[in-house]
Amino acid sequence: MLDLLISTLTQGLIYALISFGVYITYSILDFPDLGVDGTFPLGAAVTAVLLTRGADPWATLAASLAVGALAGLLTGVIHVALRVRNLLAGIITMTALFSINLQIAGSNLTVDRGTDTIFTAPLTMSLFGGLTLMQRKLVVSLILVVLVKVLLDLYFRTKSGLLLRAVGDNAGLVTTLAKNRGVVKVVGLMLSNALVALGGCIVCHEQRSFSATMGTGQLVYGLAAVIIGVSLMNFYAASPLARAMRGAGALRYLATPAGTTAVIAGSILYKICIQAALNAGLPANMMKLATAALFLLVLVLSGRKGEAIIHA
Amino acid sequence: MKKIRLFAALLALTLTLTACGKEQETTTPDAPEDGGDAQKEMYVIGISQYGEHASLDNCREGFLQGLEQAGLVEGVDFTYDYQNAGFDDNIATQIGQSFSAQDVDLMVGIATNSAVACFAAAEDKDIPVIFTAITDPVQAKLDSGNITGTSDKLPVEAQLDLIRQLQPNAKTIGIIYTTSEPNSVSTIEEYQEKAGDYGFTIDAVGVTSQAEVTQAADTLIAHDVDCFSNLTDNNVVGVLAAILEKTNEAGIPVYGSEVEQVKLGCVASAGIDYVQLGIQTGLMAAKVLTGKASCADLPYETISEYSLYINSQELDAMGISIPEALAGKTVEADAA
Repeated sequence: MLDLLISTLTQGLIYALISFGVYITYSILDFPDLGVDGTFPLGAAVTAVLLTRGADPWATLAASLAVGALAGLLTGVIHVALRVRNLLAGIITMTALFSINLQIAGSNLTVDRGTDTIFTAPLTMSLFGGLTLMQRKLVVSLILVVLVKVLLDLYFRTKSGLLLRAVGDNAGLVTTLAKNRGVVKVVGLMLSNALVALGGCIVCHEQRSFSATMGTGQLVYGLAAVIIGVSLMNFYAASPLARAMRGAGALRYLATPAGTTAVIAGSILYKICIQAALNAGLPANMMKLATAALFLLVLVLSGRKGEAIIHA
Repeated sequence: MKKIRLFAALLALTLTLTACGKEQETTTPDAPEDGGDAQKEMYVIGISQYGEHASLDNCREGFLQGLEQAGLVEGVDFTYDYQNAGFDDNIATQIGQSFSAQDVDLMVGIATNSAVACFAAAEDKDIPVIFTAITDPVQAKLDSGNITGTSDKLPVEAQLDLIRQLQPNAKTIGIIYTTSEPNSVSTIEEYQEKAGDYGFTIDAVGVTSQAEVTQAADTLIAHDVDCFSNLTDNNVVGVLAAILEKTNEAGIPVYGSEVEQVKLGCVASAGIDYVQLGIQTGLMAAKVLTGKASCADLPYETISEYSLYINSQELDAMGISIPEALAGKTVEADAA
């Protein structure tokens, strides 16, 4: 049971990277970016090719961030410069990436056990060599996700980050500030897709494989994680406990968790739900229906925006 | 108020699901059948199948028969946990991990993606993995480590020979395949390599999803191919009925890659029997489970025997008669 908890937590953490990306586009920019379904396998494809060619495992992280940002740039340019509707811009990128991913990887690709991944690389072994592989996967994913979360939180406070948030909330304000909305959107899309590709990269390290179909449904996953996480955190932030803490000096930081924290919680909770459903013997054919039902339930019960303290 | 309802509902959902999970997990491994040898340890096998598919189902059935043939009795010597990923890679991953967490004695991966997911999940605990229904285990990097199994590599030469005998004047064979399925890509290469020896040229059309298959069939019909030959390509086999509708109208015979396809309406096939493949896999698994051999001792196996399955009704409709050289060597698919 403990093992299952460790591997489910690991999955939740790794997929939180994708949810961060979806959080930026869907929640902050108000841009439903279907390109995610193509960017996720893109990160995995690049990683699988680099790993099989003997590249340094850590270099694949940078490479997938870069190609992901390029994919975001593509969606951004299609939407902003060519004036294609946001939903369609994402669909175009997603469709194009399916071919591009296969061009990159050839076909589905497996990385053999002899090849080092970030979970077995010398640096990881020197730090956490005493742990089992399963525990190492959890620790490394946790460090990565927390690192990304902290960097994102810091970024949201910079001028560029504040502008990003303004575009989704009050686009007029950005124009009043004499800033180009289009450029801000493109930056947001690049950041989001870079994170999604990073997620694909880590999944490839963890699964030692790339498959052309692995991207299917990732946007839905990310959305579900974001909405579950944010709804729960809003519930928590509105609770008497959080209200009391908000008045109590140092504790006030705990009272209003950051959106990124909510996303991590949502991702983990969602993976736990899927694992629980699998363990309960729910037939695989019913899984998507159960996902849709859970998704709808959370959306309806959370009453959408309402008096939300954290953005969803 | 709404928020409280949300929280309660989510909590209830999670709790019910985990509660069910626990219950199942504790009852499966230690539920000795009456009269069974209750003292003996029962092997727990985790079977991960990539999706619902007649050939893959046959593999699983055969696998269980193979275990029984090796003298292992279900409920006495072993229990199994069968999970199906519904063709979803992410679910396949979680299935593998849940098997690893349950500390199963052996994982079985049916079809490439499930086998790869099991192998990744088994790495930590070095749980042996047995695969089946994989065309090219070497390309999938499943040929070394604590893993072995059976390959469903198609008897391509036998198929080419069969087509030559049934259609002496045919020149072009049309094949539809999915570009992302390594199994299909490697089989297409073999077809192209060997087609010349039998006087054929191959007209291969690649697709990326099931939705494109019928269009690819139209393309091949427009190219005036003399016949179609199928691979064990999941996307293509999944819409075989729609392909057959088009080819029957155009009067083009379609050759299957295994018996289920011939039952569905292909004219003939030099194909393997997936139940037989499953049995062979089950026998290998029994050796590994009982400690008679380790995966490292057992190189992966291909099935060497194939049968020539025919569908007389469809052959008649296409005006093809069985030449004397083949008389008595064919098996009617409905009877198989």
